[in-house]
Amino acid sequence: MTKIVVPGELVANSPQGMEFAFVENGKTYSSILGLFDEANPKLIPLEGAYIPVQYDIVVGIIEEVKFAGYNVDINSPYKGFLSAKDSRYEYELGDVISAKVREVDEVKNVDLEGARKLVGGEILEISSAKIPRVIGKKNSMLDMIRAAARSEIFVGKNGRIWVKGGNSALAVRAVLKVEKEAHTTGLTERISAFLNEEVNK
Amino acid sequence: MEKPKLLIDGKRCDGRAMNELRPLKIQAGVLNKADGSAYIEWGGNKILAAVYGPRECIPRHHASPYRAVIHCRYLMASFSTLDEHGRSGPNRRSIEVSKVIKEVFENVVVTEKFPKTAIDIFIEVLQADGGTRCAGITAVAVALADAGIPMRDLPCALAVGKIENEIVVDSGKLEDNYGDGDMPIAIAPRNNEILLLQMDGMFTKDELRKAFELAYAAFPKINALQVEALRAHYAVKKDEVGL
Repeated sequence: MTKIVVPGELVANSPQGMEFAFVENGKTYSSILGLFDEANPKLIPLEGAYIPVQYDIVVGIIEEVKFAGYNVDINSPYKGFLSAKDSRYEYELGDVISAKVREVDEVKNVDLEGARKLVGGEILEISSAKIPRVIGKKNSMLDMIRAAARSEIFVGKNGRIWVKGGNSALAVRAVLKVEKEAHTTGLTERISAFLNEEVNK
Repeated sequence: MEKPKLLIDGKRCDGRAMNELRPLKIQAGVLNKADGSAYIEWGGNKILAAVYGPRECIPRHHASPYRAVIHCRYLMASFSTLDEHGRSGPNRRSIEVSKVIKEVFENVVVTEKFPKTAIDIFIEVLQADGGTRCAGITAVAVALADAGIPMRDLPCALAVGKIENEIVVDSGKLEDNYGDGDMPIAIAPRNNEILLLQMDGMFTKDELRKAFELAYAAFPKINALQVEALRAHYAVKKDEVGL
């Protein structure tokens, strides 16, 4: 049974190395507002800023062009840096790219690599805590939205989603619906019904 | 103004018992553009709390490579009381309140997780009725949790007052202005650690003990309302359809 936990709430009577939790006097407490399932002890945050982690794929916007590379806005308190050495093309201010996080050091300098320009389309910003629901188990949710809207969709771990072509309006509405109802159960069925209804309209 | 009668037939001027709280209502997530927000109505107090961050620290030289810094701005609206509260900007009193509230949250927020950033807290007192700093702290705790900022606890606060020789809980504006003492207390309810303790007036040792006893009896009620506000915000709204 999944329940909503608040900061400081007891989640386990034994010390456990859980993400978003802390241990005090041999007991484990949640440090965030999140969902907790006792059968599968894991804390899933409901809100929160995106903090980059190595190997994350993100959607960024070129914020500053420098001699050595580019500062990239990655929808996070921290800026990404894409070295000009590692990028095959020259980007301009405002270009939208997808990139992989190569490395994050202890003061959160974020190095990006493998950039690819995303041309055209539109970007949608949602809370990064809700990205796992947009993707779904084994891509199920994303595949479903892609099939219904027939659009190209690229999901960044940082909460930015790039949508191009097809019925992009439907894709955007579906993603926003997922974001709004991310903490509820039976979401896949509801989105499936919503998409069917909209496609057959 | 002449001093009003604060104790009438063993009750307080607004008819409350000595250990009774004023009506308290908390709502989470009331502002769309803030990362986290809360609205609190506590007696006649009406306070909005908004939280932004962790985000880039401005000014840059405030930033620390070890932890997030917390900025806090407490402001009373110019229309919040009968007296004029200034046309703009913080005054001596609100700078002090901002500082003590900031220190409350520096002790519970897991700031080490977000080096080089700032967490900005804004408290706007729309209507004041005594105990605004305590109501502000209670609201900010909810707003921080709503913003998804990791904390070791959900702090709550309460002012204990002294009227003649009686200790009263949650003193209102009249009791605050004309009473014999006022003591705001903020705690972390998980381990009952004190995060803020200020005092105006004189309390004897016994009165202090009594004040803590009454406050600690009231904190669980406040904390329960905070938790309920957060849960209610995320409760499944099944009838809500689409956008």
